[in-house]
Amino acid sequence: MTGVIKLLYTLKKEFLLITRDVHAVTVLFIMPAVFIMIMSLAMRDLFGLHSSVSIDALAVNRDAGKPAEAFVKAIEALPAFKFRRLEKDATTDRIEEQMLSRDIKFALIVRENFSTVMAGEKGGKGEKPLELLVNPSVNIQTQMVLKGALEEHLARLRHDAFIDRLGGLLDAAGIDSKKLKADKESPIEVRFTYRKGRSSKVPSAVQQSVPAWLVFSMFFIVIPLSNTFISERSQGTLMRLRSMNVSRLSLIVGKMIPYLFINAIQAVIMVAIGMVVVPLFGGTALTLGSSPGGLALIVASVSFSAIALALFIAAVARTTEQATTIGAVLNIIFGALGGIMVPTFVMPRFMQEMAHLSPMAWGLEGFLDIFLRNGGMADVLPESLALIFLGAVMLALTLIILRRLREV
Amino acid sequence: MIDIKHLSKSYHLKPVLDNVNLSVGRGSIMGLLGPNGAGKTTLISILTGVIGKDSGEVSVGGLDLDRELGRIQSMCSYVPQTLAFYPRLSARENLEYFGSLWGLRGRKLKERMTFSIDVGSMGAFVEKRVDTLSGGMKRRLNLAIGLLNEPEILYLDEPTVGVDTQSRNYILKTIVQLNRERKTTIVYTSHYMDEIEQVSDEIAVIDEGRIVLHDTKEAILAHADAVLIRVGEMGNPAVTALSSHPGIGVEKGMVHIKRDQRFEENMAAVFTVFHEHGIGVDDIVFGRRTLEELFLKLTNVRLRDEE
Repeated sequence: MTGVIKLLYTLKKEFLLITRDVHAVTVLFIMPAVFIMIMSLAMRDLFGLHSSVSIDALAVNRDAGKPAEAFVKAIEALPAFKFRRLEKDATTDRIEEQMLSRDIKFALIVRENFSTVMAGEKGGKGEKPLELLVNPSVNIQTQMVLKGALEEHLARLRHDAFIDRLGGLLDAAGIDSKKLKADKESPIEVRFTYRKGRSSKVPSAVQQSVPAWLVFSMFFIVIPLSNTFISERSQGTLMRLRSMNVSRLSLIVGKMIPYLFINAIQAVIMVAIGMVVVPLFGGTALTLGSSPGGLALIVASVSFSAIALALFIAAVARTTEQATTIGAVLNIIFGALGGIMVPTFVMPRFMQEMAHLSPMAWGLEGFLDIFLRNGGMADVLPESLALIFLGAVMLALTLIILRRLREV
Repeated sequence: MIDIKHLSKSYHLKPVLDNVNLSVGRGSIMGLLGPNGAGKTTLISILTGVIGKDSGEVSVGGLDLDRELGRIQSMCSYVPQTLAFYPRLSARENLEYFGSLWGLRGRKLKERMTFSIDVGSMGAFVEKRVDTLSGGMKRRLNLAIGLLNEPEILYLDEPTVGVDTQSRNYILKTIVQLNRERKTTIVYTSHYMDEIEQVSDEIAVIDEGRIVLHDTKEAILAHADAVLIRVGEMGNPAVTALSSHPGIGVEKGMVHIKRDQRFEENMAAVFTVFHEHGIGVDDIVFGRRTLEELFLKLTNVRLRDEE
């Protein structure tokens, strides 16, 4: 009973210290909340099904034929691109000048021989019917998307033209030529794969950014915790506590438990921001997975690992300035490496391998298992065990260092 | 109350305490003097159980330090020279937290807090955040936290560093009052010799890990109570003549005469010898040889941080 009361007073003390520390509140609560808002809204269209972002492009139709006009109209209807038509006799120099001056990514030139080629005749001089000018700032993936769309529409036009040419023969054979024409809708059904059963959940920016910045902010507990610990050490408070029959282990545990609560509060607040606040600004609402136990396990594991790392830094650093610098640099490296700042799926293979070195990546993967892949406790167990193991090693090292230093 | 026998402690093979023998009587105030790095804080850290000893025996209140550390700690309190509390909490929140760690709660905790607030005369600022308080107020809080568990033994490590005269005076008065009214045994370290002289019943001087002097204050000050006469060259016959008088001491270039019952007689004898041997007087220091002078003599005056 006395132990519980001591713990409650310790909890109260740590909460008062945190809430009265403007820097700690900023780092632990305000910074991740702002990051979640910004990243969820900024990256909304990267994941969204109905993107409002369109890539500017120019279209020049130098062919007077109907197939060319139909093709340009079909291309203009592509959702990801916003085509602006130039006059048919616009020179290549003028097109290029407009692309560079207005940062237009593509210019599609439909050459004079387009309709002729579509009709199955030789286009003369062996010239290709389409010319695509590409701004060098465009990445290869976007270029492939447009190229694929152009080729798909070209193939449809060719197919339909062929059916039209066979029209009389097909009628004679009693075949409805309209049914043979290409479908306007894509024949491909896209479905996302989840760990547990089927889900209508669609990956969204908020599903990615909430766990990412939550993990990042949980690890940032290293700064207030190590600063408090070093201040207690240098002010002689820890020595006073030791003289009051408080063991080293009790001091460590008494420091860990309040911060586990603080990390849990961070998790609740960040999830609430994802579910309630982000939608108010036009973003998608965060949806939780179906495993509260799995979520609790990964939150506790990330928290344990972050707190143990903070105590280790507090043990090795001599001043609060040292601890702040080491903690901040380490967190930013872990964040950059672990897919917090840049999602790992856009990283090259070797960087994806390197990401496994960051404990933030383990935590993030655990959260994504729950939030995105509908996973359960068993799915987050490998990441949780890795985080707990790291935390245990850090704690053991902390106790050894404190014992050797004899300062606490 | 505290009995230390052959206590030794080393850090990285360098002895910090070397065969320390010391006893502190129940209900007394012992002033512990020593230059920086002499071993004062290490000694208190061992007595309070913060660090272990290498060898020797320590008993506190009849309890063995090795076997009854928990009980010993519950009857002691340590007030470090640093301001060992939480600056972002109020004085009351600090008292409440440290009181809870002593296992106090409910009415008992409130009573002990009230007592500590009264002793520290902190009623006017107890609700204020500590980082807004003056140095003197912080020192009083530091002491008040140390009184929460009604300690039988109070270790005070330089409790008046950096405070104004009023607060210093208040703290000293409080310490003496605690000792007289509650019979609290107090071990008091300070660099201020006048403080030690003012509050202590016993004085111990520690230097380079060894106790070089330990006696009652009266005995030490009686030894220190002398008139100093600095002289020029003094031959052996004069030294022999002076040394034959009890109460007269001769050192190189210096004669000191104790202020005891033979003081006047000895003064006359000294000047007779000077006259007979043609010894000129360079300087006379009338009045007392202070505790500070004695301390400097015992600890060889030199600056330790230059070593």
